[in-house]
Amino acid sequence: MATAVVEPVEGRQGHYAGAVSRLVAFGADVGASWGLFTLGAAALAFTIQLASGTKFSLSNHQIASLVAAVIWEFIYFTYQWTLSGKTIGMAVLGIRVVKTDGSPIGARQAVIRTLTLPLSIIVFGLGFLGILTNRRRYAWHDHFAKTAVVYSWDARAARLRWLARQDTPTPT
Amino acid sequence: MSPVPGSGRVEQLAQAVAERVVSIVMDAIDIDALLERIDVDALVSRVDVDGVVNRVDVDKLIDRVDVEKIIERVDVEKIIERVDIDSLMEKTELGTIIARSTSGVASEVLDVIRAQGVGLDDFFARWASRILRRTPTDLPLGPPTLVETVPARPELSSGSA
Repeated sequence: MATAVVEPVEGRQGHYAGAVSRLVAFGADVGASWGLFTLGAAALAFTIQLASGTKFSLSNHQIASLVAAVIWEFIYFTYQWTLSGKTIGMAVLGIRVVKTDGSPIGARQAVIRTLTLPLSIIVFGLGFLGILTNRRRYAWHDHFAKTAVVYSWDARAARLRWLARQDTPTPT
Repeated sequence: MSPVPGSGRVEQLAQAVAERVVSIVMDAIDIDALLERIDVDALVSRVDVDGVVNRVDVDKLIDRVDVEKIIERVDVEKIIERVDIDSLMEKTELGTIIARSTSGVASEVLDVIRAQGVGLDDFFARWASRILRRTPTDLPLGPPTLVETVPARPELSSGSA
């Protein structure tokens, strides 16, 4: 099967990240956070069952599970943005959140960004449209938190790695 | 029966004498002393090993070997148990090779995913700029502290020296 060779793009570190990278990263984060939440719920159910002997399932307590999910999502995004400016999905896609001037974001910005992120989603995803239309690719939650999303991966190093792989003689 | 009368008895007598003589001679010979006197190295050096080997039909020899039977008699599991895989890995640096190739593959996959993402980002950004009738080169590249500002080149005027 023929595979398309993708040549990494050069010199993008610090540039505003585009819509596809950001949305794919967000999708990956939704998947990762839900996966971790499910694992946590299963672990909790197992522990309660082990300790009390009664069968417990978070899905039987809808309000409690909703509250737990909301708290978990808040922690997932806020903690990671405060810690490194990037979530798991963002790390995979090579992007990170910074202040509008480019400096690292703090806990306050991370909290505002996490709280306003649902706004961008709820209104039919219109909040994300700014990534395409805004000159600085700000989404609604970026406006509220005064943040920007930039590429954090060293495309130049990636290109060098890619070139090195091309030069490596294949064993016969 | 022998054609000469009485020759049978003579033969028997001769046979008996010969056996007795050989027995006495064998008893008298000191085999160890005899072997000590033999120069084995000189004897071996006189042997034409190549000639002997040439005369051996290896194919025929191999045909006679029942490999299946030999394999059946080998306890492979016992041999594997005796192999120190960890030490082997350390000696061959196989672990390093595996780790290097794994990280190489992971890094390559990550580069490809990111590069695909950037490519699609550019594609949509170009279309957005086209629809909004704006020039992509006029757009800011990134936050001021992260984007290197290239100092403007001093223009060479035609009249300068």
